[in-house]
Amino acid sequence: MKKIVEINDYLLGTLAGGAADCVYWDRVLAKQCRLYELRNRERISVAAASKLMANMVYNYKGMGLSMGMMLAGVDKRGAQLYYVDSEGTRTPGKVFSVGSGSVYAFELGRRAIYHATHRDAYSGGIVRVYHISEKGWVNISNEDCSDLHYKYAAEKGNVGA
Amino acid sequence: MLSVNENFPEYAVPGAKQVRFEPYADNGGSIVAIAGDDFAVIGADTRLSTGFSIYTREQKKLFKLSDKTVLGATGCWCDTLTLTRLLSARMQMYEHEHNKSMSTPAVAQMLSTMLYYKRFFPYYVSNVLAGLDADGKGCVYSYDPIGHCERSNYRAGGSAGAQLQPLLDNQIGLKNMQNVTESPIPKEKALALLKDVFISAAERDIYTGDCIYILIITATGIQEEKFELRKD
Amino acid sequence: MANINLQCLLGIQCKDFVMIAADQSNSHSIMVMKDDEDKIHKISDKLIMGVIGDQGDSTQFAEYIAKNIQLYKMRNGYELGPTAAANFTRRNLAEYLRSSTPYFVNVLMGGYDKENGPELYFMDYLASSVKVPFACHGYGGYLSLSIMDRYYKEDATEEEAYEILKKCVKEVHRRLFVSLPNFQVTIVNRDGIKVLPVINSELLK
Repeated sequence: MKKIVEINDYLLGTLAGGAADCVYWDRVLAKQCRLYELRNRERISVAAASKLMANMVYNYKGMGLSMGMMLAGVDKRGAQLYYVDSEGTRTPGKVFSVGSGSVYAFELGRRAIYHATHRDAYSGGIVRVYHISEKGWVNISNEDCSDLHYKYAAEKGNVGA
Repeated sequence: MLSVNENFPEYAVPGAKQVRFEPYADNGGSIVAIAGDDFAVIGADTRLSTGFSIYTREQKKLFKLSDKTVLGATGCWCDTLTLTRLLSARMQMYEHEHNKSMSTPAVAQMLSTMLYYKRFFPYYVSNVLAGLDADGKGCVYSYDPIGHCERSNYRAGGSAGAQLQPLLDNQIGLKNMQNVTESPIPKEKALALLKDVFISAAERDIYTGDCIYILIITATGIQEEKFELRKD
Repeated sequence: MANINLQCLLGIQCKDFVMIAADQSNSHSIMVMKDDEDKIHKISDKLIMGVIGDQGDSTQFAEYIAKNIQLYKMRNGYELGPTAAANFTRRNLAEYLRSSTPYFVNVLMGGYDKENGPELYFMDYLASSVKVPFACHGYGGYLSLSIMDRYYKEDATEEEAYEILKKCVKEVHRRLFVSLPNFQVTIVNRDGIKVLPVINSELLK
């Protein structure tokens, strides 16, 4: 399953929680963002997109929706990152957005996800990395966490295991 | 919904038992679907049961939605009936509105939204959709009860789904093997594998057995095949 | 949500101003997600509201109140004073409390009234509301209240009040079992709203 959803060329959403909840509401959000674009002749800001999402799920608070997502994108105000969840939380984040364009950031993100796949039973499969710039997002890599495991093990001087 | 016993245990009357209507049944059954380059095969057993007793040994669980799309549905049989009836009605509405029949990916997306529509009182159904996409390629879509949808090349669902999926992963996905080359699966092999897989399911899963019906979807139409399983 | 008492709000009202401090932590279960969250909302030119409580409810409630008070000003051409705003907020809390979707929030509301000067209102999620000279919310409040009892002066200067808040935060850092590193401080006086430096261990050195 792809846990990074391409909402439009400049907006990405990460999924966690109930698969159906995340995919469905991301689809609704993508529709709203497109409608905004058509109505206002400009792209929606990350702040507005995240608020649409937060307000939609806030209506269902306490009814059992389960989703925690980050919305990342570039708009007039530059690179933006928001955390939104089914509790109704919506908060901007700087902590996660390490200096843009930095290869170390890619490596940091990839490595962090790899460590999650190793210790968390619910994480695994393909580790995807995207980069978002003023020109939109680019998919950097999609690697099997099992391949990463042996790669990192070799770097540490272990043969495997 | 506010339940006194669940939400306010301190107000519950001791010794008083609350009886609740249980709106779901598990009627068992398994589905397997495999997609190839220019075909898709889907099979489902014909046993309909509840607990340790069998309602019937000849209940078909495959639904021909169009000449390119077949749905396999197991789980709560009454929900299956409601869902499939609603689905064909919606497909007819689409046909009247757009003057063309629905493509398999379109049916797949619609099924997802229809399942999600009942997010807070779901259809208790395990769905596997098989068919040919707009390019004539075989495709398989699988769902969870609230509408998460994923396209793949093979899928096992229903009561023996968890037992059969690893077998398909090994035989078709060639997972966890070294020095293997992936190649498109021929129709004959897919069919033979589907039967083998159901024989295994009937061996261990008490809710799967009696018979399987297999539908083979190709550009020329849908062929039906019947295959006997053990009846105990 | 059990989290509500792990957050902290402090407020002091003196002769010429009212000052509210709020911790800036945002935690989910065992994890601190952020320590620069903004929990003090500016409602109008001379009105602020510190809100802690359920994550979604806090922001949603604060914005609802803020927008409604702004709407009132647009419709009528004059503003709600602190007392009116506090009563309006209390009424909303009370009405939502008996609905299926109550707001789980604790509030300190501070404002400057043209006639009556600075005012501070203490409100909890059960819609109690009381006008007080100083108040706290959360476990951090248990540690701070006696400090305020000891050092509060009605005619304290802004600097003196800020020092009292620093004493409170110092105690929270020393004795509270959860980590609340940063406290934002906002003040309202006859000139309007002013944001004061964040109180953290760096500043307390």
